[in-house]
Amino acid sequence: MIVEIGAFAVILSLVLSVLQTGASTLARIRRSPVLAAVGEGAALSAFAALAVAFAALVYAFVVSDFSVANVTANSHTAKPLLYRVGGAWGSHEGSMLMWCLALTGFGALLAGYGRGLSAGLKAVAVATQGALGVAFLAYTVFASNPFWRLADPPVEGRSLNPLLQDPALILHPPFLYVGYVGLSVVFSLAIAALVEGRADAAWARWVRPWTLAAWSALTVGITLGAFWAYYELGWGGWWFWDPVENASFMPWLIATALLHSAVVTERRGALPGWTIFLALGGYTFSMLGAFLVRSGVLTSVHAFAVDPTRGVLLLTILGVTAGLGFALFAWRAPAMARGGMFAPISRESALVLNNILLAAATATVLLGTLYPLIREAMAGEAISVGPPYFNLTFTPLMFILLLLLPAGPLLAWKRADAGAALQRLWVAALLAALAAVATLALAEPRSLFGAAGLALGVWLIIGSLTEVAERIRLFRVPGREVLRRLGGLPRGAWGMTLAHAGLGVFVLGAVFETTWKAETAEVLALGQRLEVAGYVLTLEDVAPTLGPNYEAEQATLRATAPDGTLACMARPERRLYSAGGQTTSEVAICTRGLSHLYVVLGERRTGVDGGPVWLVTGYWNPWALLIFLGPGLMAFGGLISLSDRRLRLVAGRRAAPALAPAAKPEPVGELT
Amino acid sequence: MIVFWIAVGVLSAAVAGLILRRAARAMAGGGDADSTLPLYQRQLSEIEDLADRGLIAADERRSTHAEAARRLLSAANAAGPAWTAPAMARPVLLAMAVAAPVAALGLYLGLASPGYRDQPYAQRLDQWRAAPPTQLDAPRMAAVLRSVTGERPTDPEPYRFLAIAEMASGDAGAAARALREALRLAPDRADLWESLGEALMVAAEGEVTPQAAAAFQRALEQDPQAATARFHLARGQIEAGEVEAGLAQWRLLLSDLPTADPRRPVLQAAIADVSSGPRPAAPAVVGAPEIAAMVDGLAARLVAEPDDPEGWVRLVRSYSVLGDVARRDAALTQAKARYADNPQILSELAKAAAVEPMR
Repeated sequence: MIVEIGAFAVILSLVLSVLQTGASTLARIRRSPVLAAVGEGAALSAFAALAVAFAALVYAFVVSDFSVANVTANSHTAKPLLYRVGGAWGSHEGSMLMWCLALTGFGALLAGYGRGLSAGLKAVAVATQGALGVAFLAYTVFASNPFWRLADPPVEGRSLNPLLQDPALILHPPFLYVGYVGLSVVFSLAIAALVEGRADAAWARWVRPWTLAAWSALTVGITLGAFWAYYELGWGGWWFWDPVENASFMPWLIATALLHSAVVTERRGALPGWTIFLALGGYTFSMLGAFLVRSGVLTSVHAFAVDPTRGVLLLTILGVTAGLGFALFAWRAPAMARGGMFAPISRESALVLNNILLAAATATVLLGTLYPLIREAMAGEAISVGPPYFNLTFTPLMFILLLLLPAGPLLAWKRADAGAALQRLWVAALLAALAAVATLALAEPRSLFGAAGLALGVWLIIGSLTEVAERIRLFRVPGREVLRRLGGLPRGAWGMTLAHAGLGVFVLGAVFETTWKAETAEVLALGQRLEVAGYVLTLEDVAPTLGPNYEAEQATLRATAPDGTLACMARPERRLYSAGGQTTSEVAICTRGLSHLYVVLGERRTGVDGGPVWLVTGYWNPWALLIFLGPGLMAFGGLISLSDRRLRLVAGRRAAPALAPAAKPEPVGELT
Repeated sequence: MIVFWIAVGVLSAAVAGLILRRAARAMAGGGDADSTLPLYQRQLSEIEDLADRGLIAADERRSTHAEAARRLLSAANAAGPAWTAPAMARPVLLAMAVAAPVAALGLYLGLASPGYRDQPYAQRLDQWRAAPPTQLDAPRMAAVLRSVTGERPTDPEPYRFLAIAEMASGDAGAAARALREALRLAPDRADLWESLGEALMVAAEGEVTPQAAAAFQRALEQDPQAATARFHLARGQIEAGEVEAGLAQWRLLLSDLPTADPRRPVLQAAIADVSSGPRPAAPAVVGAPEIAAMVDGLAARLVAEPDDPEGWVRLVRSYSVLGDVARRDAALTQAKARYADNPQILSELAKAAAVEPMR
């Protein structure tokens, strides 16, 4: 019964989305608050219905109901409960259902909490969100229904890719989808602004929290994905410029640009057209990602069902949605008000430069991702665009962006004094230079790129902190005044500082790891050893172990630190999953401060003397922890910003009565 | 079924109720005020506040203030009159709220499988356990036995039966795993070691791998007369080129087997085969009698219940592995005729027929 209730609920959600779109559109045309309320009610109930459907699917996975085709294809009774639950969104159909859940969820939030929005903007935004829901729900119901049943259920399921049986991957898709689909609200708001001809400060203030939420979730989702690739694939790396990674990275870059351009629109009413353009672009890139991953044009663990029909359908949804959005943009944007003016050296100009660089970076990633696909389609020849391309194009753009970053927040709005801003950064510059010199002097082998990168990281972290120091007048006013100012800093400011410093932390980790990592691979018999970066790994034992749904060989390696002490006992595994016959390797990671000693057990072979030997690979990944801590800080900064009460219009309106001269001390400074 | 209709009813009523409640609130005049003006007013007060604290200079205060005020004025001008529509007729609203669930139900009845019950694995397992064992096919039998092993974790027998059922389902790897479990509980049973060796051998498509040989050796340690282990170890010797030594072992084994032993003819045929040819040729049926019996059981079941594509593929593969070309071709012809319009099964059949026989 429960499965069929789910099947009904997902169809109900589709019909309600149609009602949501129709009623809200009609409400805008007839200026009817009652019809608008009907549209909002439909949005709320579409989400409720889909939540029921999703719960039904999770139930089917938990009880292993193999009469559901999707469960048969993606689960197995031997799979632990946690991964059975995660299997509900580990498949193509289930993940599309989750996408729809996020889509209707954001629609419900817009309908339920969009009270501060003007009636016209809200009605059009709710209608657009409904239409986006209709497209993906219709696709789910008619072309990729997770509730399709099997007349003759098999005895066992066909399991899930064992690589995906991992806690990080249980969380990775939900975060990623909240991020991808969070951008749909921004898309809907952009359409509403175009229809209403109004993209003013109020609108921009509405765009910001949605973008922030989506951006933070995307940051966490991408980082989890990278972390998973790092410790699960056992290749020693964390980012491979894989088209699937790029597919999630491009919406992130656009959302980052949008966050910054929305500030300009909000503070100065400037750049409304560009902000709308980015708002349309963010969700377009999200849909592009969904298409790339699901159409079968890419081969990877993400490329679920290789099904051209579904690919064509998704491409149609992408084309129609983005096409209509940008056509509306071309028609309406030229008529938009231009907004405030600003001098070439000003906070606005700095943010424009930020946007130009981020847009150019997105374009290079897009080219590097699509070119091989287009080339393969046209010439039938498979080429691969790898790290060398991105190192030559993306990295320099980012280098310029990050070099200029600390100066941006120190510039005043409208007209700024660049010299004064740079002067305030002398501490950061000095420390960065010292870091470079120290790196060149100490780190072996000597690397100019490494020294420059470390200097950049220090520059970013100290530069971001400089801005806070400026705001609280550190060392210039008495301590109590400093503390008072520190307490008065708005959360938005903390968020920005954390995000920028987090970027610096990431740069430190990424540069250090890529420049000074070491790798040794050797075939070892029991008792033999290999050395990597001064650490000695001795293969002490290899024993079979049994997992819940796999058999494994577990090696025990004694890792001795360069000073002769015991660093850790590394226990990497090589697992055989019987249900699918796949072999995976389970990496052992010893954390040494910020660095990782990373050990991979290869397959068993027969040595020259007939005894068993194993291929063991040891990696030394210095400061690898920072690569994941940095983005974590960035996402945390996003959440802190999101909690700034100035972003919550309703609460803000109550807290600050109109024109009342600062009854409460308002936060110092502005949001950037 | 009644539960389903109650759930559909509750869900539909909740949805319609939610829509009607929002509409009723809007009709009662609970409309939202435009927040644009308060927002600019707040921006103005923020500027005042910053200026009061000396964070912006006096002339900047003036120009910023002027700009924000200009925007406030233009926003006030741009804001149209508030939306006020006459209350809508209640029947129209009601129709809208009810139409959605009704349309959804119509679509559901056309698209989905109304009345199809849930089939949780635990419930199906209970049914299989309640059914007479003769009515279960090998995979279902294996599922039942697997649940029995969970209930009697210290008893090696359920694992042994599970291994037989897994073997019959064509999953030699699973059979080997079950036997390892059984051996963990009863390491001194020669028959279990022999079965493990065979399972490993079948998993390796007939080759006597070092692991399989090790299992047979363990069987011999427990029971020096273990016939199956002796047979396969000798076969391994013959394959490795030590034909004479292997044949000697086989002849010794033949003399040890009682005259009534059903394995004698198989062994005699194998000996004749190897001693006649310059190279060790595959005996007609080299598998142990248990395997042959399992395959016969499968064939018999397919005669009774022929609509089982997986079963046919397994049967064809089994004959291929056993080297029984004639029966393989007969089964293949039958299966091909049966599934002529299903290319996927045909390709699986072809693959199964192409499996190398074990030598």
